[in-house]
Amino acid sequence: MGEVYLPILVLGILGAAFAVFSVAAPSIIGPRRYNRARLDAYECGIDPTPQPIGGGRFPIKYYLTAMLFIVFDIEIVFLYPFAVAFDQLRLFGLIEMAVFIVTVLAVYAYVWRRGGLEWD
Amino acid sequence: MNPTTPQYGDLALFGHDPLWLVILKALVLFIGLVLLTLFTTWFERRVVARMQQRVGPNRAGPFGLLVPLADGIKLALKEGITPANADKVVYLLAPMIAAAAAMLVFAVIPLGPVVSIFGVSTPLQLTDFSVSTLYILAIASIGIYGIVLAGWSSGSTYSLLGGLRSSAQMVSYEIAMGLSFVAVFLYAGSMSTSQIVAGQTDWWYAVLLLPSFVIYLISMVGETNRAPFDLPEAEGELVAGFHTEYSGLRWAMFFLAEYVNMINVSAVAITLFLGGWRAPAPISTVWSGANDGWWPILWFLGKILVMLFVFVWLRGTLPRLRYDQFMRFGWKVLIPISIVWILLVSAWRGIRNEYGTDLRTTLIWLGVILFAIAAIAFLLDLRRAPEDEVVEPTYDPYAGGYPVPPLPGQEFTYTRRAPQTVPATVVETSALESTGQELEGDRNE
Amino acid sequence: MSVLLATIEQSGSTGEQIVFWVCAAIAVVGAVGMLISRRAVHSALFIAATMIALAVLYVSQGAPFLGMAQIVVYTGAVMMLFLFVLMLVGVDSTESLVETLKGQRIAGLALALGFAVLLFAAIGNVSYNFAVGIDGANAADGGNVQGIAHLIFDRYLLAFEVTSALLITAALGAMVLAHRERHTPRKSQREQSEDRVRSGEPQNLPGPGVYALHNAVGTPGLLPDGQPTDRSVPEPLRGVSAAVGVDHEDTRRVNALAAGGAIIPGKAEDES
Repeated sequence: MGEVYLPILVLGILGAAFAVFSVAAPSIIGPRRYNRARLDAYECGIDPTPQPIGGGRFPIKYYLTAMLFIVFDIEIVFLYPFAVAFDQLRLFGLIEMAVFIVTVLAVYAYVWRRGGLEWD
Repeated sequence: MNPTTPQYGDLALFGHDPLWLVILKALVLFIGLVLLTLFTTWFERRVVARMQQRVGPNRAGPFGLLVPLADGIKLALKEGITPANADKVVYLLAPMIAAAAAMLVFAVIPLGPVVSIFGVSTPLQLTDFSVSTLYILAIASIGIYGIVLAGWSSGSTYSLLGGLRSSAQMVSYEIAMGLSFVAVFLYAGSMSTSQIVAGQTDWWYAVLLLPSFVIYLISMVGETNRAPFDLPEAEGELVAGFHTEYSGLRWAMFFLAEYVNMINVSAVAITLFLGGWRAPAPISTVWSGANDGWWPILWFLGKILVMLFVFVWLRGTLPRLRYDQFMRFGWKVLIPISIVWILLVSAWRGIRNEYGTDLRTTLIWLGVILFAIAAIAFLLDLRRAPEDEVVEPTYDPYAGGYPVPPLPGQEFTYTRRAPQTVPATVVETSALESTGQELEGDRNE
Repeated sequence: MSVLLATIEQSGSTGEQIVFWVCAAIAVVGAVGMLISRRAVHSALFIAATMIALAVLYVSQGAPFLGMAQIVVYTGAVMMLFLFVLMLVGVDSTESLVETLKGQRIAGLALALGFAVLLFAAIGNVSYNFAVGIDGANAADGGNVQGIAHLIFDRYLLAFEVTSALLITAALGAMVLAHRERHTPRKSQREQSEDRVRSGEPQNLPGPGVYALHNAVGTPGLLPDGQPTDRSVPEPLRGVSAAVGVDHEDTRRVNALAAGGAIIPGKAEDES
């Protein structure tokens, strides 16, 4: 039964070999001329903006997005077997899933109303 | 054909190829993908040039067809720069992840029915298993790593912003994409790509499940970071986003990944919604042999070309969205519509399974009316919401000259200047503060 | 360990064994790497490698749905963790080794002990009551996915519905931690442009000066009367113009040139 996944491995090896070759190639065939300015971060020609110590911090908004992503991702993972086995689960499965989705939608509506989905 | 061979649409068809055939198929698929990518770059430049009243590349080779090759050679001879600030290992790992992940998706895309290759009868598809569509989603979420890591490891502000933006964007649109698949699984009763194609013998799911198809089309553009959703590499704001610091072939890996991903999502759209490798309706009705042998590859490539043209067309037509508009569209439009649509479709199908068509018709109308009422109520509520904010006259945000939070039951109101109730002496102080000149003296008091 | 080895040798082909040993090695290396790497992002990467190796193991054991769901959900989860780490500890900083939670070592030890007991119990259970194997379970319902669907939506119905409560808690927690209420209404694009017109300066800020000695945005542009203006310099660069190589000697000389005079050598005066 593992034979089904063998082609993926073969294609993966091909793709990975190509990628490794392409990433390694510039160090071998490409020129190498040292230039300090070239090794700096690119900021349209000026010297890079000095970063605060410990690195810049980022809007915590991204955390909320990531968490909502997980919530919906898990919902999707439940929805897939539900959809595949739908005809065998009969109406009871549908009601069950409706209850589940509505419960998750409740928190979605809450986040929406509190303004958690707004971006500046 | 051998009568004991399983019919197309049976998973027992897969996993019996000898090793040489597996390697041959994988190699052909890989080379085909790279060539198709080269072709797509040329195609995009030519088509978008025509849309902008230009000629496009036309010097190297006939119609400029050799331009991608020349570009490739030029890129290979460039210096591979590793910025001084970069995290070296991750910096080199990121383009590898992006390119390899992009290549892997095509393993489960069906290109045609069972054919005979050197005497071995085998389906024109690398492999398939019961969860191959979930596999596509899994590979896509690994591909995001390439972008985020590239952004982080470059040690540059623009790269980091681009990487964060694109990860937020891709996860948002991946949800809409995943939700749009559900209705297809409901109808096909399977997650395997070949069974989904087999389920579209009579009707394409794009016709049966039009809302799902539209949602998928939109989210696929967001997922591939293409115009009008190309915010991660918005050149006016972020230079080039996550790949600002990459050069030469390393940069080419991201470029390759983007174009292969375009081809991937097109292939998924074709497989799930547009009948897969089956010939479109006028051809298949006139010519009964259109879906046999090697012909399906032609139909498949034709459909890919149409999808790629749509991508280029979008790029040539639409301006880029603003980031907040883009996120709002994903979270507040695509996702709720998808969920409601899933509930509707499953209710439709469930009632048909249970009670047959008569009761279903009645109930559907009832459901439509109820849904319409709910939707209208919801929209009215949305409209009303801003007017709700009643100004509490008793609340004074600068009571006694100092900012105070609202008490329970009070609404915060925004006032531009200090209100009238403030004693005159305090106003003087705050006026002095606002000019900023007397600040030092004020602090000394 | 020998029990484990014996079970492995009993079941599965050589291909499956190769997969097991490769993936197990990757998973363990990933777990150890996660513990010992100093940069938070490297730790997140190692976790991702472990998760993917585990997913491959699930798939090779005949549970493809679980394997793929592992990648979809856990790469998503690790991605979130990754972003979270970036945002809370800063982009580049290394981990602080100061312990702030009191008694966390004892709690950690107790939990590890409990986990070890569970693990041994599970392995013992498998080796004494012989497991049925997943192939029979898959065949019973006509496939791995259908089998999982029957279990989730039939036998473990309550657990499934309770999961939604867990998801609610997660989203609520994220809101409590990360959401900042807006007190002022957000300005629309229209309002912003109206404000700009009312401010009396609706035009764009002046670009970098034509007489700039530096071809850079850090160099102030010149007003029509020849005065250099700070407004052409992006705000983050204003305070640090010395750091980006703009010194006021330059501006002074540019000023002199613009006024039509000769370049006067001399000490720079402070423009601000």
